Amino acid sequence: MVAMIRLSVPGTLRYRPIAVRTVAEAARLVSGSSPRDPKNPTIDPLALDIRHPFDTAVVSAFMEIFNNIAIHAYQRKGGGTIDIEITPSPDEIVIEVKDNGRPFDMGNVVALPDELDEESLPEGGMGIHIAKTMLDEMTYAPGPPNLWRLCKRLPAPQVAVGRS
Amino acid sequence: MAAPFDVQRTGDETKLMVRGSLDINSAPALADEIDKIIATKPAKVTVDLSALDLIDSSGVAALVKLYKGARGGGGAITITGARDQPLAIFKLLRMDKVFNL
Repeated sequence: MVAMIRLSVPGTLRYRPIAVRTVAEAARLVSGSSPRDPKNPTIDPLALDIRHPFDTAVVSAFMEIFNNIAIHAYQRKGGGTIDIEITPSPDEIVIEVKDNGRPFDMGNVVALPDELDEESLPEGGMGIHIAKTMLDEMTYAPGPPNLWRLCKRLPAPQVAVGRS
Repeated sequence: MAAPFDVQRTGDETKLMVRGSLDINSAPALADEIDKIIATKPAKVTVDLSALDLIDSSGVAALVKLYKGARGGGGAITITGARDQPLAIFKLLRMDKVFNL
């Protein structure tokens, strides 16, 4: 397993694709998932291929946290960095994301309705719910720096044996 | 980068195909197109997500806006083809049943 991966990007949505790709590849190191068809040269090597449930959970959660920081902490204006520290291991991935923007008020997160129908379909406020539900652990500590800690574990039967 | 969607209008039916990643960077352009679609009050809207690889909450919000707008205008809307990560998100949000995915 590779060592810690660190990435620091400006706190704007322009750098989101780079950060998401990095996290996707780190998730793949843990899940062991392979690209759709590595022998097919017509497939864009930079295209994201998120199918494995573990990759899906990690990438989906991270995208929402990056969005949250760019929009709420940095108010879509940038002006600071998003520092990402990824620790992959054989059975889990831990991602710490730091920013120096405005602290996020978790108390303002509204729960989704228990029963969903056409009338109650939400048009916002889903991001934190997605991240929290996809992960095994998610914590947030307001700063500065503000610190998000995301953890996702492989289900026990899927832990690869003998992988270094 | 090309917009990750195509719109085809045939008679009173509008077909929207979304591909690639529908996220906070690409959803605003789709939301503008959705406003145009809703304004025509189409009798039938079909959304094809078979080429959609990735979605975030902003992308979901755009599709919810289309769903509500089409239904609110008296039209029918069908969403098809969701798979992999996008389908997982719809299920997590329990929208798969509302959208009949």
